[in-house]
Amino acid sequence: MFVYEKRLQYPVKIKNCNPKLAKIIISQYGGPHGEIGASLRYLSQRYAMPYPELRAILTDIGTEELAHLEMVGTIVYQLTRDLTPEQIQEAGFDTYFVDHTTGVYPVAASGTPFSAETFAVTGDTVADLHEDLSADGAIA
Amino acid sequence: MNEKNALRRRIYAMEFASWELHLFLDSHPGNCDAARKLEEYRNRIDALVKEYEEKFGPIGETPQNTSRWAWISDPWPWEKEAN
Repeated sequence: MFVYEKRLQYPVKIKNCNPKLAKIIISQYGGPHGEIGASLRYLSQRYAMPYPELRAILTDIGTEELAHLEMVGTIVYQLTRDLTPEQIQEAGFDTYFVDHTTGVYPVAASGTPFSAETFAVTGDTVADLHEDLSADGAIA
Repeated sequence: MNEKNALRRRIYAMEFASWELHLFLDSHPGNCDAARKLEEYRNRIDALVKEYEEKFGPIGETPQNTSRWAWISDPWPWEKEAN
């Protein structure tokens, strides 16, 4: 089960809005190398993992990725507070705004919504671990 | 930063460190030094939380330690005011 802790893993306090930056950073939320994919990858791979150390790590890291997801969502949220129509247009945020306004939607910077096609769960220990190494190289 | 926020920040920093030790122990389950260190950090967190709650009231509201009404109150973690 999961229990929610009503705090961020690390504080986020952004002074100035910046919709242009938000449009890029949102890829770490719902993009192909984002935190949703990371979390679902580890939490889904753990069922077929035969080693106790690795079952624990996949569970704990998959959980921690959700905390990262929350911090990234918070960054996007705070970067898009109190926007004027001019700021939305000048930043090119209008293409996002037309569908989502300032809601935080899991999407890549290129506009593609999140897809589980961005990660693999093979049930094969070595294949899954290789995929994890590859993914974590990309998302650090 | 006022005393309340400084103390809260210290508690969260200690929790961050103890979580890292937890992860380390996943892959090093026989490492007694790390296990001792984790125990030490947990005790220090308990003491700091006690100090915080005596001075400023409940920290980290959860459905277990507050009424539902307090749980729904602002600020939520994504608001600047919470950080």
